Amino acid sequence: MAHGHHIIPLRTLSMVFGALLFLTVITVITAQIDLGLLNIPLALAIAGSKAILVVFVFMALKYDNRVNLLTVVLGVVFVVVFLVLTLADTEFRGSLGITEPAIIEASPESSDTGSRMP
Amino acid sequence: MSSADTTLKHYFVSHEQQFDAAKLGMWLFLVTEILLFAGMFVAYAVYRSWHPEVFLQVSELLDWRLGALNTVVLLASSFTVALSIHFVQKGENDKVVVLLIMTLVCAAIFMVVKYFEYSGKFSHGVFPGAGFEPHGIVDGKDYSKYDIPFAPQFFSIYFVMTGIHGVHVLVGMGLFGWLTTRVARGHFSPQYYTPVELTGLYWHLVDIIWIFLFPLLYLI
Repeated sequence: MAHGHHIIPLRTLSMVFGALLFLTVITVITAQIDLGLLNIPLALAIAGSKAILVVFVFMALKYDNRVNLLTVVLGVVFVVVFLVLTLADTEFRGSLGITEPAIIEASPESSDTGSRMP
Repeated sequence: MSSADTTLKHYFVSHEQQFDAAKLGMWLFLVTEILLFAGMFVAYAVYRSWHPEVFLQVSELLDWRLGALNTVVLLASSFTVALSIHFVQKGENDKVVVLLIMTLVCAAIFMVVKYFEYSGKFSHGVFPGAGFEPHGIVDGKDYSKYDIPFAPQFFSIYFVMTGIHGVHVLVGMGLFGWLTTRVARGHFSPQYYTPVELTGLYWHLVDIIWIFLFPLLYLI
């Protein structure tokens, strides 16, 4: 074996390829069923499993130098930070998304037109 | 220092160290790629959570069968790349050439399918941005009924995400073409095959991006 590189057996590679095809079929089937709020997390979980298989076996991260794993994990952590902080803003903007024209009426209590002026 | 060995740069102690340095550099690059696509995935998440019903309805216009076909094609190409690494590590370069050509063919099939998808959309007025004006009937679907508020947002996201992904596939095709000639010319050995390894890593990342794009765009 050349300077210590792990050669991944053909059997392992074939099994991962089979698993990836199987998960693709599963994701197509589950998408046809209405699971309500669960559809998106399920689709992401299946896609995430496929990504983990590719990263650890096809990209050989499982057999690799640990510093490469650290690099990837840090990258993914920052993607999560990016997503969570952005949604923490965009999900809580209240009525800013309403696009129909409407008249804003001031309530008598909040009205201060002229009241503080001498 | 061995004068015959031209693949080891003088500033590295060993092939092992040179290989590890190159690979870490590649992983760092791949993280920047992940962050590039993360920007688009976050845009997708924001717009989908604002207009979930629009995404649900408008994504019907994408043919999930073509998306699934392309998923299988890309997974197969990832498999052939992983096999090519296996055989280059064993020094069986004639198999590597065949596997890299198979990868190139898969990538080409992907782009041909994408071409038919894009031209099908363009011919019925489904453009990104202001040009969005769906019309005509395909597979019993009346495109004009999809001219609803925020529908263009979905297609802008679709075209930008799959477009930038497609550019990555084209770059990969160029790299595989170049690699195939280098393998055929006997540039690589179990001792030195860094370009094959790094291009393989790049290609697997392109595959992973598509693994997420397929359910998020086609299977809503």
